[in-house]
Amino acid sequence: MADSFIIETDELRKNYGPVEAVRGLNLQVPAGSICGFLGRNGAGKTTTIKVLLGMARPTSGHVRVFGLAAEAQQASVDIRRRTGFVSDDKDLYGYMTVEEMVRFTAAFFPRWRADLQQRYLRTFELPLDRKVKALSGGMRTKLALLLALCRGAELLILDEPTSGLDPAMNEEVLRALVAHVASEEMTIFFSSHQIAEVDQIADRVVIIHRGRTVVTGALEDLRENFRRIQLVFDGEAPEPALRAPGIERVWRQGRVLTILSSAGAERILDEARPLNPVSVDVVPVTLKEIFLETVLTED
Amino acid sequence: MLWYKSWLETRWRFVIGLGLLMLSAASTVVVYPQVVKLLPMASNVDLSGEIGRRVAESVELSRDYRGYVWSQWFRQNMTQLWTLFAVLLGTGGLLAQSAGGGALFTLSLPVSRNRLLGVRAATGLAELLVLAFIPSLLIAVLSPTVGQTYGAGNTLVHGACMFIGGAVFFSLAFLLSTVFSDVWRPLLIVLCVAIMLALSGHVFPDLARYSLFRVMSAEVYFRGGGLPCLVLTASTAVSVAMLYAATRNIARQDF
Repeated sequence: MADSFIIETDELRKNYGPVEAVRGLNLQVPAGSICGFLGRNGAGKTTTIKVLLGMARPTSGHVRVFGLAAEAQQASVDIRRRTGFVSDDKDLYGYMTVEEMVRFTAAFFPRWRADLQQRYLRTFELPLDRKVKALSGGMRTKLALLLALCRGAELLILDEPTSGLDPAMNEEVLRALVAHVASEEMTIFFSSHQIAEVDQIADRVVIIHRGRTVVTGALEDLRENFRRIQLVFDGEAPEPALRAPGIERVWRQGRVLTILSSAGAERILDEARPLNPVSVDVVPVTLKEIFLETVLTED
Repeated sequence: MLWYKSWLETRWRFVIGLGLLMLSAASTVVVYPQVVKLLPMASNVDLSGEIGRRVAESVELSRDYRGYVWSQWFRQNMTQLWTLFAVLLGTGGLLAQSAGGGALFTLSLPVSRNRLLGVRAATGLAELLVLAFIPSLLIAVLSPTVGQTYGAGNTLVHGACMFIGGAVFFSLAFLLSTVFSDVWRPLLIVLCVAIMLALSGHVFPDLARYSLFRVMSAEVYFRGGGLPCLVLTASTAVSVAMLYAATRNIARQDF
């Protein structure tokens, strides 16, 4: 496995009894990237994250973070020492005050960033003397984010970091994340349902469905390569046997034949021209469409 | 800081336990003059059966202050209350926190699960140690107020037996808390076990000599038989085995 990947999984499987939560997941997250981890509910995102952090043990396959085997106990401790984490539930210790929570967490991380702590306490307007259980959901998310960002970590793993936030707070949190990454050298791996926010801050995307990777790559490459090709015919659209690479989905509706390609349009157009379409339309595809099309195709 | 976290999680159970035990210890001493006054009347009461035998035994023991303290405090009030708080302090922990208690946050810290559990167990045992000694030492301190004396050495021996014998209940609750994700099932199961152990001594008198409560109250020591080293060692071994099983159990859990 190459050293340039901070996270790497190879045929990762995780079963909970008879339920297959992750089914042969292959994942590669390069160092320094902001990788959005997309998938429907129950796709296996949270399970994958738990395996990366040693909270759940893989049934089979290999998982390496910083080149260390995540399933090994001591290696897992070392991984967590270099990783900031925000869980999807944002559960912290309700009986501690914000100040106690910060002091408690700082004690475990030798590279704790006191300067960032002060900055984020101010930016997020967190009341130091308030008990965590008395914080609103948004404030708790901000505190969880502060506790992750100040660890001096090389990797941030965020599980639905903005879930349950109102749009204004959502924007505030995303801005804080982007500003943080701009000033620190780190890798971010975050799961989300919000395709718009992945589009906004990620440079790489992994889409998983039913425990398997269905799309992975740099967001720019995906934007460049994914195309929707619409061919209109005089009569009923034909059922062509296209052999061009990257055909994700083909569907016919009356006179219209639509093709979703993940490898550009040229090769497909070369094959389609002999069918004599009366019009050809090639349009770029948004991340949302890529997500929906790949996930729906798999269904 | 894990110690601090464990302390915050258990402090109210500990403080309430300490308060109740100190109150119970103080009242045991304070009512002794009234008990002495009532003793002549007790000899006229004719009770038969097991209850009668136990009342008569208590009356006899109460004629001497050391016997009274052992009978009322070490054998009865303290054993019952201490067992309850041993079970309460043994419940909870990582699995119970998996629903809304920050378990994932804890597991994201660079700390092994063994250490998490070790600190949690050590905190609970340290609190139990305080509950075993401080209220009993209060008896030694308060006894002069009713014109009696009670040796601090005695309280230390009884406290040690209470702690070592009763740690079995703590360890069982601790182990069950790594099996069940709520606090109620471990609590109820261990309390049921404790009640059954207490009843078995009455139902099968021949088994009473092996009772854990007899170890906790240091009855053999009180009756001049020395320290029950073998039984105390066995209790310690059982506790250690259950705590070890708890760490193994948590190590293989998925959260």
